[in-house]
Amino acid sequence: MTVAIVGVGATAQGKLPGATPLGLQVEAVRLALADAGLDKAEVDGLLTQPGTTASEGARNYLRLGEALGLAPRFTASLSMGGATGLVLLQLASFAVASGAANAVACVFGDAARTGGSRFSAAAGWGDSWGIWGMFSAAANSALTARRHMHEFGTTSLQLAEVAVACRRHASLNEAASMREPITVEDHQASRMVVDPLRLLDCCLISDGGVAFIVTSLERARARRRRPVAVLGVGQANSPETIGNPAWWYVPHQETAAQAAYRMAGVAPRDIHVAQLYDNFTISVIVWLEHAGFCKRGEGGAFVEGGRIRLGGALPVNTAGGNLSESYMQGWLHIVEGVRQLRGECGARQVPGAELCLVTGRGMTLNCAAAAVLARG
Amino acid sequence: MADKPLPTITDENRPFWEATRHGELRLQRCRQCDRYRYPIAASCPRCLSLDAEWAAVSGRGRVFSYVVFHQVYHQAFKDDVPYNVVLVRLDEGPFMFSNVVGVGNEQLRCDMPVTVVFERVTDEVTLPRFRPEEDR
Repeated sequence: MTVAIVGVGATAQGKLPGATPLGLQVEAVRLALADAGLDKAEVDGLLTQPGTTASEGARNYLRLGEALGLAPRFTASLSMGGATGLVLLQLASFAVASGAANAVACVFGDAARTGGSRFSAAAGWGDSWGIWGMFSAAANSALTARRHMHEFGTTSLQLAEVAVACRRHASLNEAASMREPITVEDHQASRMVVDPLRLLDCCLISDGGVAFIVTSLERARARRRRPVAVLGVGQANSPETIGNPAWWYVPHQETAAQAAYRMAGVAPRDIHVAQLYDNFTISVIVWLEHAGFCKRGEGGAFVEGGRIRLGGALPVNTAGGNLSESYMQGWLHIVEGVRQLRGECGARQVPGAELCLVTGRGMTLNCAAAAVLARG
Repeated sequence: MADKPLPTITDENRPFWEATRHGELRLQRCRQCDRYRYPIAASCPRCLSLDAEWAAVSGRGRVFSYVVFHQVYHQAFKDDVPYNVVLVRLDEGPFMFSNVVGVGNEQLRCDMPVTVVFERVTDEVTLPRFRPEEDR
């Protein structure tokens, strides 16, 4: 596919009193347009993920389109949690490749921190899991972590390695919310949330906005920034939760990653840097397995010895991730992928980064997506 | 203080909750493809048939995975923490969420055998929970 990301925009992140999801979306688009050197009038596609505090829900595309004064010929809103940014990248790529749109702005904005989103709801339809006290996104990942520990011997110390690596990377990122370095001991001393997950296994809850603009590689080459090519992108889903015996291990992540690799014509060994969805530390370990960087069950051992830190064999979440940069449901993972491939990351730059894998996962472990991005 | 969530009894799930009230665990079994299914659903997610019976199951299974809540996500569980939630795999195949009773949280293990017990919560609702079973 000859499609590229031509501009990215990220607002201030963290605790932003008075900010609204809509206002943050508009600001993110303004920044992405400036980054791309595009005029608003050139944007003819608009895809959005409604923020968790956006009351309009799936009509977010209307409100944002109105606020931006756009008349898009391709638009939609989609809620697939932490997979949404990458799924919208896929849709935008299809739209550009087919000629349905020339330039598609993909946008997320949320005031989850100041708006009080707690991500604590019970999952399941009908007879809610809450009957048995089963609440929160953390608990779903805690089930995965416990079974992973049982089957493969994964340890809490290995989970800590993920948290420490993300925090170390965030310390090199001036835009990150949590920059004070942490140690494995800090992780082990943090309070238990849903055993086996501790506080430092959990992502932040954040306010912020993110946007990126997708256009053809040809058009992107005429712009001010080095384009970043979308070589491959894929999604895979398991709408069944406990009705699927393999649900806990989210094997659809592997299907999504393989689709992205196949479309890109590359293999895991070709990837220089990875932005792996980290709502909880265990998710990075499982993604390492599903993205083919190690075998099933070996993700815990893989993160040891600084392998996923800057300078390691596979730097992961180089901006700090959901765990330490900001919880933008994976949208900042796409932005960081673009910035690494442009070589703009200063102290946290991965030297010679030409290929980046970005992954996302959302809802009740249901939705997975992955993309291979390349220096254009 | 908010009450703990209870199931909303509907035509679709009433046979499940009537069975637990009588000390039985019954799940839907598709008459077309013979598969047990859970969560409760109007049609079979495998063959899409609407034709199902409510078949009694053994109530025996194994703890597939478990977690222990320390964080209070719902005020009605404030005095319960730390409490466990388990994902049980029934011998017949389906997975269910539940709690293991009669044993300390620190004694929970993946794959430990369990068997169903019934705990009356209201006149209408009796919850299936599980207790450890001797090794088998």
